[in-house]
Amino acid sequence: MRKWFVLVIVLALLVPLAPASVTAQGNTFTFGEFGNAVALDPAIVTDGISFRVTVQGCEPLLQFADETTIPRPGLAESWTASDDGLVWTFKLREGIMFHDGTPFNADAVVYNFERWRFTDHPTHFPEVVFEYYSSMWNGFDDDSIITNVEATSEYEVTFTLSEPNGGMLNTLAMPMFAISSPAAIEAAGAAYGTPSVGYSCTGPYKFVEWISDDHITLTRNEDYWDEISGNVDTIIYRVIPNAAARFAALQAGEIDAFEQPNVEDLPAIESGDNTYVLMRPPLNVFYLAFSYRIKELRDPLVREAISLAINRQEIVDAFYPPGAVVATTMIPPSLWGYNPDVPAVPYDPDLAMELLAEAGYPDGFSEVTLLGVDENNNVTDEEVGTIPFTLYFMPVQRPYNPDGLGIGEAMASYLAAIGLDVTLDQVGDWSAYLAARSNGELTGLYQLGWTGDNGDPDNFLGYFYLNQPVPQEGYYQNEEVSQLLRQARSMTEQSEREPVYQQVDQIMHDEVARLYIAHSGVPLAFSNRVSGYIPNPLATEHFKYVSVG
Amino acid sequence: MAKYVARRIIESVPVVVGVSILVFMLLHLIPGDPATTILGERATTQSIAELRARLGLDRPLYEQYFIWVGKMLQGDLGNTVRGNIPVADEIATRFPATVELSLAALLLSTAVGVPLGVISAIKRNSLIDTLTMFGALFGVSIPVFVLGLLLIFLFGVELGWLPFVGRLSSDISIQRRTGLHLVDALLSGNMKGFKDALEHLVLPTITLATVSLAITARITRSAMLEVLNQDYIRTARAKGLKARNIVMSHAFRNALLPIVTIIGLSLGRLLSGAVLTETIFSWPGVGKWLFDSIIARDYPIVQSMTLIIALVFIVVNLAVDMLYAVIDPRIRY
Repeated sequence: MRKWFVLVIVLALLVPLAPASVTAQGNTFTFGEFGNAVALDPAIVTDGISFRVTVQGCEPLLQFADETTIPRPGLAESWTASDDGLVWTFKLREGIMFHDGTPFNADAVVYNFERWRFTDHPTHFPEVVFEYYSSMWNGFDDDSIITNVEATSEYEVTFTLSEPNGGMLNTLAMPMFAISSPAAIEAAGAAYGTPSVGYSCTGPYKFVEWISDDHITLTRNEDYWDEISGNVDTIIYRVIPNAAARFAALQAGEIDAFEQPNVEDLPAIESGDNTYVLMRPPLNVFYLAFSYRIKELRDPLVREAISLAINRQEIVDAFYPPGAVVATTMIPPSLWGYNPDVPAVPYDPDLAMELLAEAGYPDGFSEVTLLGVDENNNVTDEEVGTIPFTLYFMPVQRPYNPDGLGIGEAMASYLAAIGLDVTLDQVGDWSAYLAARSNGELTGLYQLGWTGDNGDPDNFLGYFYLNQPVPQEGYYQNEEVSQLLRQARSMTEQSEREPVYQQVDQIMHDEVARLYIAHSGVPLAFSNRVSGYIPNPLATEHFKYVSVG
Repeated sequence: MAKYVARRIIESVPVVVGVSILVFMLLHLIPGDPATTILGERATTQSIAELRARLGLDRPLYEQYFIWVGKMLQGDLGNTVRGNIPVADEIATRFPATVELSLAALLLSTAVGVPLGVISAIKRNSLIDTLTMFGALFGVSIPVFVLGLLLIFLFGVELGWLPFVGRLSSDISIQRRTGLHLVDALLSGNMKGFKDALEHLVLPTITLATVSLAITARITRSAMLEVLNQDYIRTARAKGLKARNIVMSHAFRNALLPIVTIIGLSLGRLLSGAVLTETIFSWPGVGKWLFDSIIARDYPIVQSMTLIIALVFIVVNLAVDMLYAVIDPRIRY
């Protein structure tokens, strides 16, 4: 007993003798992330946290200029397209090396695209999911609209498409189409992008270390081909899942910046002596969708009544961070293709009640009629049964929806005021909610939203309404909308495409196809020692512009 | 004894198999799957079906189960669905973090809870007893996240005494041997690392230990009270034995059985992960990871971890049963 006591005393005396922590070499920028990265192979990433890491080190052929959604030269310094929009030739920059010391050239580009496209490619591992390739280029193998990628010289690559693709350049600038070192992929095999390997690309910061759920460290690439205007030598992402703890860590100086503070903490961060807030421009939309299997909701008068009954401005004021705006269309105002002539829907419960009465529901309703669906997803006249009128609310926070339940309750009370008695339902957790949505099982009103991937309007409208009718879009059907979107996708000139997207949003507004509620920015909090951070609508800021100290 | 241990080990096999089947079935019965969470808002009926096929989730359930069991028996826990990272590697990184925090919390709750319980029992109905039991009630009642955030703001932000993010400062590294930072730092003579790791451990340990400490104190008190009212204690007192001897040699030893039981249960509970404490203190352990994996339907992680947790409980229970025999020589196996 006495021996133990002595040992404890000796240890206790020794500990304070140890020197205080040493500081890392050079300028370190520590960013507080709300979760662990999933993977660092950019081609298989689908989550924002992982992308915020990979964009520091991995570059696509094109980049988005100065944190906008306008594509500009990246690893490709120039390009030309054939008149029919089917053949694209890219001239690559010369003299660039991957982090592993191997050269970047046309063969490397071809290797990456073939790896993503061909399911029998030796490094297209079956257990790895190249989800974005499939969704942006219409599938793998022969389904892909990129039918050939060829090295036409050491620094020239030619792409052949099966059909014109209006969003081609924007899509090529997406972070998931960053070019990795073929040698690094071959060497690591399926472990490429995992914590033990990380990434090997061409960008300004190299991978150093990833301890799961703790931190990821990157270091400056001294051989980077372009300018690094900031002064950061080391980037550390620290995982801090709790928003209040992230704020505390910023106050205590443990981190220099973080994203997604609690909305209620924003005033304290803004008024803090050593802290400030920046907002990511909104590139998202939160909406309330109708299931067109509900007989009552197929009546435009009922849809308009519901639209007039919901006070969008009050919802934005009560639930969203500063900078959020009421949505009038699917496309947010920051994106080209936005239609400024579509008016905001007024909050007018009296008119809503008149419309309901005109539609034959003077006392409102609490139950609705479910219609059948045929094998082609067409809604039929067959009445399957009567079900409670349900409003499905999202069980998770998303950048476009800060509080599914709170907003759902607010919406229910607005609807109750005009005699519509809705049942609130969250289905289960997020996975269950998404499954129910994709199967068309959210039969009523349902919340959902979208965050833009590539700054192209097709990514907002085409993605949702081109193929019709489908269960995941509530069996919405309007042939004119589908035709227009198909037409816009096949055009290559922005000036031709823009009016088409504006027309689609106008049509959908006129028929009250869906209720757009809000476009929300995402707040970012900083210590005063940070400068040069440019918030990016795609949520993938480049830290090469950042300085600390 | 050896025979008993062997029997217990054999008996645990059906438990483990049962747990594995139950978890597998439950996971696949709840709606949603990894494909829906990977696809997120872009999930369509077709894209989900394609991804399910790629992930092998379209095969019959029994087939998926046996594929998993087959790999498991070869020591392959599989790869995470999201990110394709070997589950075994992830467990090797995270489990030591949970073990270190759990043991620290257990040490604190036992080292403080047991003496408090003993003192309360001896000084029954005194001010000390009242204060201790009030404190125990408070410890059980205060929500973990409230206590955690209070400690962070007081000791981390206002006073600036202690760190509260993760296990180590960004600029400190400790050579990995066991994964337990305190042990590794001592083994490599890295006192700077030891100090940093110890400082990071303080606040989460207090937060995590509070509930166990309160329960341990209350159980110890009631166990001691029961023993102290026995005739042989009165006899010992009548014989004129020192109060200290009576309490330590006669009363405490006989009160140990329920105390050891509750400590064993606490350890099992702590090792299975403390979601809230890990979340608040950004502690890279298994608790929050498992929780997130259930939400994401990352089957290989959930299946492996639940099995490991089942094993932990089996081993801890067995160890507690062994301890009974040490504490009470009348117990024979």
